[in-house]
Amino acid sequence: MSARRQASSQWLLTLPSLAWLGVFFVIPALLVFVTAFRPADLQGGVGPGWTLATLDEIRDPAYLPIIWRTVWVSAATTFFCLGLALPMAFHMARAGQRQRQWLLLLVVIPFLSNFLIRIFAWKSLLHPEGPLTQTLISLHLLPENAVLLHHAGAVLLVMVYTQLPFAILPLYAAAEKFDFGLLDAARDLGARPRQAFSKVFVPGVRRGLISAGMMVFVCSLGQYVIPQMVGGVSDDMLGTKIAQRVFSDRNLPHASALAGGMMLAVLLPMLVVAVWQRIGRKEGA
Amino acid sequence: MTRSRLPALLAWGVVLFLFAPLVVLVVNSFNASRFGGAWEGFTWGWYEKLWAAEEVWQSLWLTLRIAVSASLASMVMGTLAAYVLHRFRSWLQNVHQVLITLPLVMPDILMGMSLLALFVLSGIETGLLTIWIAHVTFCLSFVTMVVLGRLQDFDFTLLDAARDLGATRAQAVRKVLLPLLLPGVLAGGLLAFTLSVDDYVITFFVSGPGTTTLPLRVASMMRTSRSLPVINALSTLLIASTFVIAAVSSRLQRRA
Amino acid sequence: MDDFLVIDHISKSFGQQRAVDDVSLTVRQGEAFSLLGPSGCGKTTLLRMIAGFERPDSGRILVAGQDITTLPPEQRPVNTVFQNYALFPHLSVWENVAFGLRMSRRPREEIRSGVDRMLDLVRLSEHARKRPAQLSGGQRQRVAIARALVNRPQVLLLDEPLAALDLKLRQHMQMELNTIHEQVGTTFIYVTHDQGEAMSLSSRIAVLNSGRLEQVDSPASLYENPRSSFVASFIGDANFFTGVAQEFQHEGYVRVLIEGLGSPLVQSNGAVSSNQPLRLMVRPEKISLTLARPSSGERVNAFRGVVEDIAYFGSHTRYRIRAGEHCILAQLQRSRFSGGEIDPARGAEVWMSFHPDEGRVVRLEDAA
Repeated sequence: MSARRQASSQWLLTLPSLAWLGVFFVIPALLVFVTAFRPADLQGGVGPGWTLATLDEIRDPAYLPIIWRTVWVSAATTFFCLGLALPMAFHMARAGQRQRQWLLLLVVIPFLSNFLIRIFAWKSLLHPEGPLTQTLISLHLLPENAVLLHHAGAVLLVMVYTQLPFAILPLYAAAEKFDFGLLDAARDLGARPRQAFSKVFVPGVRRGLISAGMMVFVCSLGQYVIPQMVGGVSDDMLGTKIAQRVFSDRNLPHASALAGGMMLAVLLPMLVVAVWQRIGRKEGA
Repeated sequence: MTRSRLPALLAWGVVLFLFAPLVVLVVNSFNASRFGGAWEGFTWGWYEKLWAAEEVWQSLWLTLRIAVSASLASMVMGTLAAYVLHRFRSWLQNVHQVLITLPLVMPDILMGMSLLALFVLSGIETGLLTIWIAHVTFCLSFVTMVVLGRLQDFDFTLLDAARDLGATRAQAVRKVLLPLLLPGVLAGGLLAFTLSVDDYVITFFVSGPGTTTLPLRVASMMRTSRSLPVINALSTLLIASTFVIAAVSSRLQRRA
Repeated sequence: MDDFLVIDHISKSFGQQRAVDDVSLTVRQGEAFSLLGPSGCGKTTLLRMIAGFERPDSGRILVAGQDITTLPPEQRPVNTVFQNYALFPHLSVWENVAFGLRMSRRPREEIRSGVDRMLDLVRLSEHARKRPAQLSGGQRQRVAIARALVNRPQVLLLDEPLAALDLKLRQHMQMELNTIHEQVGTTFIYVTHDQGEAMSLSSRIAVLNSGRLEQVDSPASLYENPRSSFVASFIGDANFFTGVAQEFQHEGYVRVLIEGLGSPLVQSNGAVSSNQPLRLMVRPEKISLTLARPSSGERVNAFRGVVEDIAYFGSHTRYRIRAGEHCILAQLQRSRFSGGEIDPARGAEVWMSFHPDEGRVVRLEDAA
């Protein structure tokens, strides 16, 4: 095949997915920033002309605690997810072929189960008359009339629950490639099991750890259904506010400004990680 | 060397944590008690109520139509995308790669929000079409990743071998590449199907009047306590179907 | 036909890299021929150009008088046994072998009999229904051979046919390949980096080095009369000495002055002029070791040295001997060091000697 024919067939074959993502992913993302400078109209759309008013609105200091909460809930979710996923991935990678396949299936099923259903399951578990609350109260582990639902702790718990498979799968992929003979070597050189785990295994799956953490953190930043459904009135996150602006206040430019801010907050750290990993790969090669 | 039991214990603890809420749902779907606090006897009642809830079945039908068409479209585009990503090394494919990867890490709410901005600014009425577009967009990346994984295991000398034995370029693709890639494409399609059926957040942003998909229906049912036990029954059916799909998919991935 | 397959001034570059540099050679009909060289020497590129997977930048390839240089692989009378066999994992053994016949739309009956006969030839008839994954390495290779041969190619290319097999199986397959070649009589072209493989499988060998053809000859001629030090060192072991042609003697012998060693007498092996720098090659097994100076007169080259190291291999023993600047390898059959003398020990002073006919003058190159 001549070079020119090859180049044109490359373009032709790339065109469908490239064009689709260009029109329905890149342009919409850019339009979010454009919309932030348009005036709102009462029907939930945008009015004619341009304005900077929305930028002033979102400088509202009331957003600061919400942003702060969004970040720390996401960070805590990431922390707990990685803490649970690390030993899980470690065990899965060392288990026999059969057990490994089963564990993988058992992780994937909740991951593929309906998102709302999983939240709903926790709602009924944590419900004041639900089995968990009742059991804990009857064991005197909880005071009478304790409420587990509508509470920051509930938000964190359900967040960890829904994001956990996102942490396990990339970590498992990394752990599967890890040479477990290195752990024997570490033990041989005098490391205790826990030291071997933390000094050899954890650095060995560093790349998987970073992508798992990134994935969980970014997905958590955007959550709004969980705080809305299991959180209390004071547990709003930035996502909740965006949804509120769109569906309750019908103020699209305001929502776009918030979404644009979040988009920058998501893309910038990813860019940093991507550049850093590329540099690391070049040094490694 | 004696292995520490701790990771194994933690791993099975994680599995328990992942499944306990689902098990409670399934059990409660047969529980006569409305709130499921205590066992008040076995009943099929909630399933009968679910059977009678016509709006749920309408939503399911709508959801299936969207999921099947969106996964078919994303299977075709995703397979093509995976092929070119694997086949060519160029700046174009670097850009392509970034575009395929970004939707995977973009929070749902931002994707929904930006698609809404597109549809509002371009004056497209939200409805069935916009939901379909949104679903194809996020399914495309997942299918591409699954097929790409499969392609990375594909031995391209097999195509040379086919040509060497007298097959034309097109025959080699049809007789060798496609049959070997098919399980990967189907697994990607199943994943796309599941994600499409499951999606709530993005659909919520781009749905219009009369396009209440199943997740949207579940969300509205969750607001009225009367229908809560019916959700248990519905959830049980959905979890069961997820089981089947996951089992089929893992069988497909394994058959190499 | 002496020029059944003709490679005519073929060159191929990848970017700045000249993979194949102006190679010309001919292969006879029915011959077992090898392309031999280290990895990156261009042998695989040459094979891919014969098979049709690469297009040469310049030059022509002819099979039985037909120019196939620009034909796509599916139209060439050439089939390939790939290095990793490239069996189709989704097809049974039988269907793998039938693939080529199906592509050329042969009648059903011809396909059936052709495949059955071929599976019979490679003794795999009872495995016909199995998938390639269910076969052993040696069986897979036989399927690959059957799959190629069933199309009755004019030329069969075999890419590193024994590389993926373990030692025992390799020796067995070597004989098996020779048998199959005898039975079908097709022209076989092996590509290999293993000199032992090339020597045992083929009647002639082309040695390639960084894209260039070094020498084409029978295995024995390559070993006995290597034209370059690359060929000499790639095929078997060799001692090299750099020196200057000193005085000519009758019958094409020349004396070579080697600093720190003396001036041995060797066959001049073609045109050598006085004071020309050149390289002298002696195979380790051509060197005799004695404790006393050999007394067979003028025509033996003898030097003194000290045994530095001894390695025992059962059928033979190797000695590393130091003589001033030079480090010389000598190899003795167990029976050779006889005549009532004891084996030399490490540190012993010995005499090394070789007959003038056993030394070779090879081309002086910059490399090696």
